[in-house]
Amino acid sequence: MTVDLPRRRTSTGDAPTPDASSPPRADPAPPTERKSGPARPFLLDFVPLESEKDTRLARFFERLAAGRLSTTRCARDDLLHWPPRTACPRCHSEELSWVDLPESGRIYAFSAVLAGAPMGMEADVPFAVGLVDLDGVPLRLFGRIEGRPWADLAIGLAVRVEPYDVGDGRWFYRFRVVD
Amino acid sequence: MTGRAVAIVGGATTKFGVRPLTWAELAQEVGAALFREVPALTTEDVDSLFVGAAEPERFAFQSHVAPLAAEQMGLRPHRIIQRTELACASGQSAIRSAYAAIASGLSDVAVAVGVEKMNLPSMAEANASMACVMDRAWDGPAGATAPPFFAMVAQRHMLEHGTTEEALAAVSEKNHRFANANPHSQFYEKTFSREKLLRLPVIAPPLRLGDCSSMTDGAAAVVLASEDHVRRYTRTPAWIRGTGQYSDFHNLANAGSLTEWPGLTRAAHEALGRAKIGIRDVDVAEVHDCFTISEIVEYEALGLCPPGQGGTFATDGRGDLGGDLVVNPRGGLLGCGHPLGATGVAQAVEVFRQLSGTAARPAENAEWALVHNLSGSANVHSVMVYQRGGAA
Ligand SMILES: [Zn+2]
Repeated sequence: MTVDLPRRRTSTGDAPTPDASSPPRADPAPPTERKSGPARPFLLDFVPLESEKDTRLARFFERLAAGRLSTTRCARDDLLHWPPRTACPRCHSEELSWVDLPESGRIYAFSAVLAGAPMGMEADVPFAVGLVDLDGVPLRLFGRIEGRPWADLAIGLAVRVEPYDVGDGRWFYRFRVVD
Repeated sequence: MTGRAVAIVGGATTKFGVRPLTWAELAQEVGAALFREVPALTTEDVDSLFVGAAEPERFAFQSHVAPLAAEQMGLRPHRIIQRTELACASGQSAIRSAYAAIASGLSDVAVAVGVEKMNLPSMAEANASMACVMDRAWDGPAGATAPPFFAMVAQRHMLEHGTTEEALAAVSEKNHRFANANPHSQFYEKTFSREKLLRLPVIAPPLRLGDCSSMTDGAAAVVLASEDHVRRYTRTPAWIRGTGQYSDFHNLANAGSLTEWPGLTRAAHEALGRAKIGIRDVDVAEVHDCFTISEIVEYEALGLCPPGQGGTFATDGRGDLGGDLVVNPRGGLLGCGHPLGATGVAQAVEVFRQLSGTAARPAENAEWALVHNLSGSANVHSVMVYQRGGAA
């Protein structure tokens, strides 16, 4: 490196290297006002990125938007997966097919978040969550349980799957108590 | 045991709690404490550094924390330097990695340090960081965090085995009482009677505030040495005699019955088998009481009592001083707080003190100690077995 090269920042943001052989020169440019405030980065939230450019499971979310909760089944060994997958965890086949899941189930266990909700969910407090055994398939899914205050829920209570728009075009699913 | 024998020859922790300092300052504080506790240790001795840290990216906006920790502690490791991440078991992972490195001959003297800064200006952000430990894409959107998950474990345990809120309170009362004697604990000199615990607010039914470990800032460090180097530092080493681990599932859909933790049974079987002892030989245990119900299920999965009887084991005081063995004499995660990456290392510090006769709450004539960490939704279990002093 020659001593005459101007100081510059590398792409990784390293601090400029101090040069002991020449005294620091006065910066000819007037001090500029800092225009940017504290960084407000785009934050990933808990809802998945759902489009075809983001995930190979975009089909799951398309079907969910059409009101159908589905998952993958392995064409080779018939294993039903949850969550949906791109390769079978048992035989590692990548030939999987989409199948619709039952829309009804029963509560296996539940609790509620009364404090300490993650950022973005504070306004939902209190909210109930639980594990639901779907009818007729060996799958137990975790999710929000709507339709009754948590204190009125019970193990064994019937619920149905409810796909919903999270508010920005992405879709997710929750459970609602069957009245 | 294959490979060289390895022992912990000393350790230190910072004060645990809501601390007005940064991640890096915690590392400095524990480094200073470690060199005070192990006077024969020089910075040149430490050839390797393993840094247990669960979520510095989220809690401190800092990656590449291994060299950061080394600089804070005044270390220049020349054989192995790395971070270990296994959520709540990141600290034990650091110790296990140091152990493996020394046993294999790659390292002679290593430091395992755990550091976590969890209290932030926005606790909602900190809670979101905690929630990232779960399967964030599938369980996260519903608001899956540790409290409702372990609450469901408690609910099913109550349904299937008749476990009571009083049994949960018994675990909490014991561990908070032990923490009273530990000046480094978050709840030092604070008392919680069972009656008081049963009146605390519900956080995730049926779990109350006193059933849950806290968001804690803290750090802990231990020095590990090969059999050839142990005597330079101490006459009372804690020898690592066995270790085991089991990873069962991640998504909550695959959590099984909730009330049985076969992964812990397998990990403990592996660790005890390598040590050639049985669970009845263990005098003191540091187990992962992130929630009161965890300690109850752990009694069962470790084989200290039959399945379903963990609640009775707690109310009968069989894990208390004068019981079958002493469980969590340090004060546990409930009494000390739970700075994720530091917890497993702090447990090892306690084991070293128990086996070298310098513990604040000594178990009587302890020879064998067991340490357990779970991580996440009890989907991974990590176990280590230690033996008191004597020859390699
Ligand atoms: Zn398959």
